[in-house]
Amino acid sequence: MPEAADTINYMVAGYVVIFGVMLTYLVSLVARWRRAHRDKAMLKELADRDEP
Amino acid sequence: MIKEQPKLLKTLNIITMVMMLIAIGLVFLYAPMEAVMGPVQKVFYFHVSSTWTGALGFLVSAIAGGFYLRTKKQTWDIISVAGVEIGLVFMLIGIVSGSIWARPIWNTWWTWDPRLTTTTIMELIYLAYFMLRRGIEEPERRARFGAVYSIVGFLSVPLTFLSIRIFRTIHPVIIGSSDPTASGAFDMTGKMTQTFVFSLITYSVLFATLLWHRTRLGKLSAEIEEAKLRINE
Amino acid sequence: MRGTVSKASGFLKVVFAIVWKDLAAEWRSRELISGMLVFALLVIFIFNFALELDTQARSTVTSGVLWATFTFAGTLGLNRSMAVEKDRGCLDGLLLAPVDRTAIYFGKTLANFIFMLLVAVIVLPLYSIFYNQNLFIPGLLLVIFLGSLGYVAVGTILASMAVQARTRDILLPILLFPVIIPVLVAAVKASSGFLQGSAFADIQSWLSLLVAYDVIFVAVSFMVFDFVVEE
Repeated sequence: MPEAADTINYMVAGYVVIFGVMLTYLVSLVARWRRAHRDKAMLKELADRDEP
Repeated sequence: MIKEQPKLLKTLNIITMVMMLIAIGLVFLYAPMEAVMGPVQKVFYFHVSSTWTGALGFLVSAIAGGFYLRTKKQTWDIISVAGVEIGLVFMLIGIVSGSIWARPIWNTWWTWDPRLTTTTIMELIYLAYFMLRRGIEEPERRARFGAVYSIVGFLSVPLTFLSIRIFRTIHPVIIGSSDPTASGAFDMTGKMTQTFVFSLITYSVLFATLLWHRTRLGKLSAEIEEAKLRINE
Repeated sequence: MRGTVSKASGFLKVVFAIVWKDLAAEWRSRELISGMLVFALLVIFIFNFALELDTQARSTVTSGVLWATFTFAGTLGLNRSMAVEKDRGCLDGLLLAPVDRTAIYFGKTLANFIFMLLVAVIVLPLYSIFYNQNLFIPGLLLVIFLGSLGYVAVGTILASMAVQARTRDILLPILLFPVIIPVLVAAVKASSGFLQGSAFADIQSWLSLLVAYDVIFVAVSFMVFDFVVEE
């Protein structure tokens, strides 16, 4: 029976891409989320200050 | 007022994570090794699922765009953008993983076959989508134009695929390949099929979860934009 | 019954008014046509040196070079046509008039279509000389007709949007080219087929694809144009 090709490196590379890009995207979502919350809190603070 | 994630979303997060873990387990422990291609074939399961998710994103975006044009409700535009963004990310994963899979098998990083070519063109269309949006200042017009382009772009895809498919039945050569009729097909055993189907379902659930999260982010950003405008008045 | 007839004739009047306005304006300045002429010549020369074609190879790439020319020259025409409206505020004026919006779209598209055919009229004799090949074959003319129609249907819509963006000049090709690929592929293959005298059965699928594209995108553009120009 013929040997299966030794393609394990490519498999690893493939999965690095698959999970790497996915995780990067998730991280970017979380970072943007945090920043948005900070902005919102800051704006709320400004608004509260303007209305004594 | 920081809004907590709705209970359903929290549940969805957990379901997605569990399914993903199971899928990974199936791919590496359950599905058999493919006889000819070896380990790299295992990339196939998540490669196709990623491409599928990418296409889902673009489909959702076009539909949401249609609803935006009909109702002019901002939420639809936010969903449309979310769809394109997720679509771009996962389509990219699909294209690159596909290229990596192709390399050891056909001895080439790129083939002009209909699927790879069409998905790359799709990617270009949606990059153009963001460039269009970025070039327009006014939010309402930005949303309108985005919706129009996402619809036009999506409709062009089947025709693009068809045209390249007909093109390729006449020119089957994969440049540099030793086998001119290569198509990357392999025999799928029962276990492989189960793994494949489960991967597709997992990624679909993942898509829904991400879409929800990204839409919530979009809504929050929109609120902030509005608040900023009000303060500047 | 009389109401519908007068409405239809009103529609057509607007369409022809717009077409006439564009053509007359262009005739007075002839900037666009001369620009496209020079552009077409330059493309022939660039391709000639870039591809280092021998006489043999040249006959196989004629249709490719032809459609590359149309594709790029077409964007010039589209950009120009919409930019003029935007800059002179003509579009706003047109929109204030109590006419059916789709008549405006139809008129602009028709005008752009005529411009593309004019480009073909200029390009075909030139390329016939430079490629030493008679390009005035009915089949080829049909392909140019169908291809230009699809190109212009989508192009007018996208140009209307692109012209309102900050990055207007570079944006139109970026938006247009990925979407226009079915037209390009089918037109080049069909053109080659006719030029090389292939059997009609071989060319048929390409023509069907062109017709399908034209039908779909003329319809879609009609439905969507309202949303592009509303204020």
